[in-house]
Amino acid sequence: MTIGITTYLIYLAISIALTIWVARTLHKNGRVFLVDVFHGNEALADSVNHLLVVGFYLINFGYVSMALKLGYVINNAQEGIEALSVKIGMVLIVLGGMHFFNLFVFSRMRRRTTNHHNPPVAPDAFTAVQEG
Amino acid sequence: MFALTVLYDPDCGLCRRAHEWLADQPKIVEMKFVPCASEDARRRYPKLDHELTKKDLTVIGEDGAVYFGPKGWLMVLWALSRYREWSYRLSSPELLPTTKRVVSAISQNRYQIGRAAGLTR
Repeated sequence: MTIGITTYLIYLAISIALTIWVARTLHKNGRVFLVDVFHGNEALADSVNHLLVVGFYLINFGYVSMALKLGYVINNAQEGIEALSVKIGMVLIVLGGMHFFNLFVFSRMRRRTTNHHNPPVAPDAFTAVQEG
Repeated sequence: MFALTVLYDPDCGLCRRAHEWLADQPKIVEMKFVPCASEDARRRYPKLDHELTKKDLTVIGEDGAVYFGPKGWLMVLWALSRYREWSYRLSSPELLPTTKRVVSAISQNRYQIGRAAGLTR
């Protein structure tokens, strides 16, 4: 096995493990949030949670797979580790970006459901209403 | 409060155009449009100052809460599902003074704006 192939394999192993870890964290901790957003409707919260995680996996694995190619030949272990660190660093940044995007989506959903019933302003006066 | 009554000025082209636009908007709260100072308005709200309602848009809740002028506009936004966020944004302490100024300016010049835009009867 050449150093290049070894680098690729280590890259894949670390990226996949990281993605799974972040997705699981999101899945576990996002649930409480979503249950609150959907007013205790746990079935709906679980469903949305699952769909979000699927999207998360697709985007991240898509990125990991597209960023695999190095484009140059690795001659020794040092170059391999350097290439690896750049690749893993990029994956981490993308994961971080996705993570914050997910948090943003959660907080938006939450804001939408809270503070949504009261009129924006207080009335100037009250008048008698004659029905009919 | 589940429905709002909007007392609008039937003589103003801009108001009629706004009324048409509102009719197409998805609503969270039902709105009923009644020409201001009309028979219907006077019967429904016997204690209201109907001369004042001719001056600016007036919105009245089912419970009799009266929202006059800029507050009326904000209540109309609040009733629309696409613009509810905006009603909160425009009524925030930072923006409310500007909102009031702009809405009052439009309201006071509504006949001129309507004419300039070719919205005559």
